[in-house]
Amino acid sequence: MTNISRRTFNGLLGAAGALTLAGGLSACSSGPRVVVVGGGFGGATAAKYLKRYDPTLDVTLIEAAPTHFTCPFSNTVVVGMNDMSYIERKFDKLTSMYGVKVFTDTVIAIDPATKVVKTAGGKTFEYDRLIVSPGIDFKWNAIEGYDAAAAEIMPHAWKAGPQTMLLKKQLEAMPNGGLVVIAPPGNPFRCPPGPYERASLIASYLKRNKPKSKLLILDAKDAFAKDKLFKEGWEKMYDDIIEWVPAAKNGKVSKVNAKDGTVETDFEKFKPAVANIIPPQSAGQIAISAGLADKSGFCPVDPNTFESTLAKNVHVIGDAAIAGDMPKSGYSASSQAKVCAAAIIALLKGEKPLPLSAINTCYSLVAPDYGISVAAVFQVKDGKIASVPGSGGVSPLGANYQFRKKEADFAAGWYQSICQDSWA
Amino acid sequence: MRGFLTTPGLCLAFALAAAPMAASAADAVTVMADSCAGCHGTDGHSIGGMPAFSGKKADELKKVLHDFKSGAREATVMDRIAKAYSVEQLDAIADYFASRKK
Repeated sequence: MTNISRRTFNGLLGAAGALTLAGGLSACSSGPRVVVVGGGFGGATAAKYLKRYDPTLDVTLIEAAPTHFTCPFSNTVVVGMNDMSYIERKFDKLTSMYGVKVFTDTVIAIDPATKVVKTAGGKTFEYDRLIVSPGIDFKWNAIEGYDAAAAEIMPHAWKAGPQTMLLKKQLEAMPNGGLVVIAPPGNPFRCPPGPYERASLIASYLKRNKPKSKLLILDAKDAFAKDKLFKEGWEKMYDDIIEWVPAAKNGKVSKVNAKDGTVETDFEKFKPAVANIIPPQSAGQIAISAGLADKSGFCPVDPNTFESTLAKNVHVIGDAAIAGDMPKSGYSASSQAKVCAAAIIALLKGEKPLPLSAINTCYSLVAPDYGISVAAVFQVKDGKIASVPGSGGVSPLGANYQFRKKEADFAAGWYQSICQDSWA
Repeated sequence: MRGFLTTPGLCLAFALAAAPMAASAADAVTVMADSCAGCHGTDGHSIGGMPAFSGKKADELKKVLHDFKSGAREATVMDRIAKAYSVEQLDAIADYFASRKK
């Protein structure tokens, strides 16, 4: 076991500093230690902005995967608009540009009492403040029969990577005239408009390549993010393809049999060519095993600092956190990360943290050239993160082609910017 | 442990490379303005189709933001966002981005 303690690190620094730049080095990573668990939008942005705001901090990012595949724009990969490489993010610039130490390893234990994190690779990291940004995990068997093995046959594709490719291959292999089922979960879940963007882009793919096919959305809800805008687009473009079945009309999937290829609601049984089951979710497993989640499966936090209300010196951001009106989105996670980074710096200095000021902006593609958006600015009101009254909201209904096309172009620009801002 | 031994070297390189880069203290204006960077790039250096702020003068940015807030300027999404901020806050955001490295 390797114990990377502060003493070891300062010892090494001291040796190097003695060679030449004592002054320059003293400003480099000799300050308090912040460990970040998870390298998605939340974790990567937090690590980067901690160093931007205070380069003296000793910032370590631990992420299980050597690269991160983003969920935003993974729907464009599913339908062949982009390759996997388009959504692959690397961590090297966090190190070369900002001085973040990055470890590819899996955190298996967090002990808030001793302020220590342990990894599967046998390393131990001590921290003064910890940021946990693990994203989501799935509640297997919440839908009867849907477990990790079933997901290899009926992909969720709700964590980007091999699952994204599996869904793409199944769509390519299905016959013209086949049925696609998408089963979105109830609230709360990662990326509220995501299942409906996926339905839209798959319908666009079917219309072009397999026009006799149908797409059924078997929903566990009666309303969803940007629903009026999606339905407006579906009526215009995919009236013969998409059918949305809300919970009130028995849309909720209660059971699957992956081996037989069947998907069941309480009243009907389907045998689709492609079944995309998006199961109910919780905070990432490490947050739960560390005791950071409440009964809901997600993590209660202070709305201004994102410090866990269940563990001192531990902050939870992104999809894993209960963040009031902020949706579980990449932009929310990234915006929370900056607020959290600033709060940690204030807390380490014994200063009062700033009040939260955060944004969410996210785009959905109803077709490759048809974009819609939702935006909101957040502040804390009555102890809860709430959107600023009189602002925010979704794109207008009834907008013309130029407007939708412009938002589709902005969607791509948004993606490039947020990836740059988070990982580079 | 082997990988870790390289860190001081890396840290040294970082100290040299980063020397000209002024850290931005995490004050209220910085944190408020940095939430814009998700769409417009770190320090407003957008690399894609989103408008960049680099090279823009503070007055120019202020006028655009005021017009988004009032509705005088057509927008897809910025009208919805600008309405959340006071004129003073919009001015502070404009001053922040105008002062960032080009």
